[in-house]
Amino acid sequence: MIISRQKEFNDILQMLAEKNVFIIGCGKCAKKQRVGGEPEVKDMKNRLEAAGKNITGWTVLSSACSIRSWEEVLSVNLEIEKSDALLVMSCGGGVSVISGFAGKEVYPALDTVSLGGVVCNEVVTEQCGMCGDCTIWLYGGICPVIQCAKGLLNGPCGGAVEGKCEIDERLCAWDKIFERLKEHKKLQNLEKINEPKNYMKKVRVKP
Amino acid sequence: MSFSSKLRSGKFLITAEISPPKGTDTSPLLRDSALLEDIADAVNVTDNQRAVMRMSPLAACSILQGKGLETIMHITCRDRNRLALESDLIGAYSLGIRNVLVMTGDHTSKGDHEGAKPVYDLDSVQLIGMIRKLDQGFDLCGNELNGRTDFCVGAVTNTILNDVGLIKFRKKIKMGAVFFQTQAVFDVRGFAEFMEKTSEMRSRKVKIIAGIIPLRSESSAHFLNRVPGIRVPDDMIKQMKDAKDPKLEGMKIAAGLIRELRTMCDGVHIMPIGNHENTRALLEMAGLL
Repeated sequence: MIISRQKEFNDILQMLAEKNVFIIGCGKCAKKQRVGGEPEVKDMKNRLEAAGKNITGWTVLSSACSIRSWEEVLSVNLEIEKSDALLVMSCGGGVSVISGFAGKEVYPALDTVSLGGVVCNEVVTEQCGMCGDCTIWLYGGICPVIQCAKGLLNGPCGGAVEGKCEIDERLCAWDKIFERLKEHKKLQNLEKINEPKNYMKKVRVKP
Repeated sequence: MSFSSKLRSGKFLITAEISPPKGTDTSPLLRDSALLEDIADAVNVTDNQRAVMRMSPLAACSILQGKGLETIMHITCRDRNRLALESDLIGAYSLGIRNVLVMTGDHTSKGDHEGAKPVYDLDSVQLIGMIRKLDQGFDLCGNELNGRTDFCVGAVTNTILNDVGLIKFRKKIKMGAVFFQTQAVFDVRGFAEFMEKTSEMRSRKVKIIAGIIPLRSESSAHFLNRVPGIRVPDDMIKQMKDAKDPKLEGMKIAAGLIRELRTMCDGVHIMPIGNHENTRALLEMAGLL
């Protein structure tokens, strides 16, 4: 699941120069996180109208990043043609895909922050650093690229205070990695010198 | 004698830390370093310490080397990718800098450029390994250098280390760190435990230089207690609270620590809050001068 959060409403207003706006929500990750499903789209509509915008219509696509046919979207949302701009309440993937079809201004209502998941109905953030070179098994299934604030691959930085990360209240990822590997009797993994990441794998992933 | 030779000689070492100026005025740097000229075996120069932007340690070290001081250039993983780190290291060596102290670096969000992109392309273990490749005449990717480096490579450590911290300490040695400068020590018994815990992995080749921060007030003690890896014991805080002259008391405490540490490790690293005006007096009090 792609983790996103809503932009500040004032920032959306500043970005959105056009008057006639159609809103598109996303029925997958954004809906699950309650930042781009039907209730949030309706709320956005009300707030934008209160701010003087003309909301021509709205829809929640089953998945904003996975569109079979834009014509099909248009055929059931005729107001899109009459709009000056689209406000998309999905992750950057959805905004980008829609921008490729729309032929008009498309604005993001969300900021995309990480790749996470849902466990027992609870959204978990920052599960994967999307480095293009997965070695998560070495770390007991805890991704240091994203869960360690510095993305360190060979152990903690020494900046944690009472087990809490230097940058915020989160627990040090390396303590979690240590505990998990201990539990799995795989502490020897920590002795391995992990080489620097090959960012070629991330920057230009071959299909 | 060079710092690296002194390390090997077994002499009890004195190093002292200086921050480069925030701006182009080098006079405070020169003033502070002049105070250390004949007392420190080497002067550490910090690298955007606490993620606060200052003059590059490469430039500051070069200036100090020109004044006849031997420097230990700090190099963090925070601000440069592998190319920039390598080219700075080659440049530093060409300017006469022979000692480097490798560390991860405080996160950008802790400093005065909060929105900066934190790099951490390499971590400290990988950076030590990369420097050892430069020393062998190759860059990180195995391309041959026209002239190699020959650095004396140090790393940093907390003296309060959990199990996973100890593993990283060991990895730094494995990659080629020959000395460690520690976070400030206030608890001698805790330091002794650290020395005991690490004795096997250090062997005799890896030297430990203990960090010393002279307290200036009770509030400085409370402040330091919030710094990662520092633990000022309660009785020491009370000592500072009760002192008529807290600055002098702080120096007495530091001198006492140095006297005790002298029998336990290979040197001390003086990191005063502010400048080095009292460093000579401190070392005299500790019986090192």
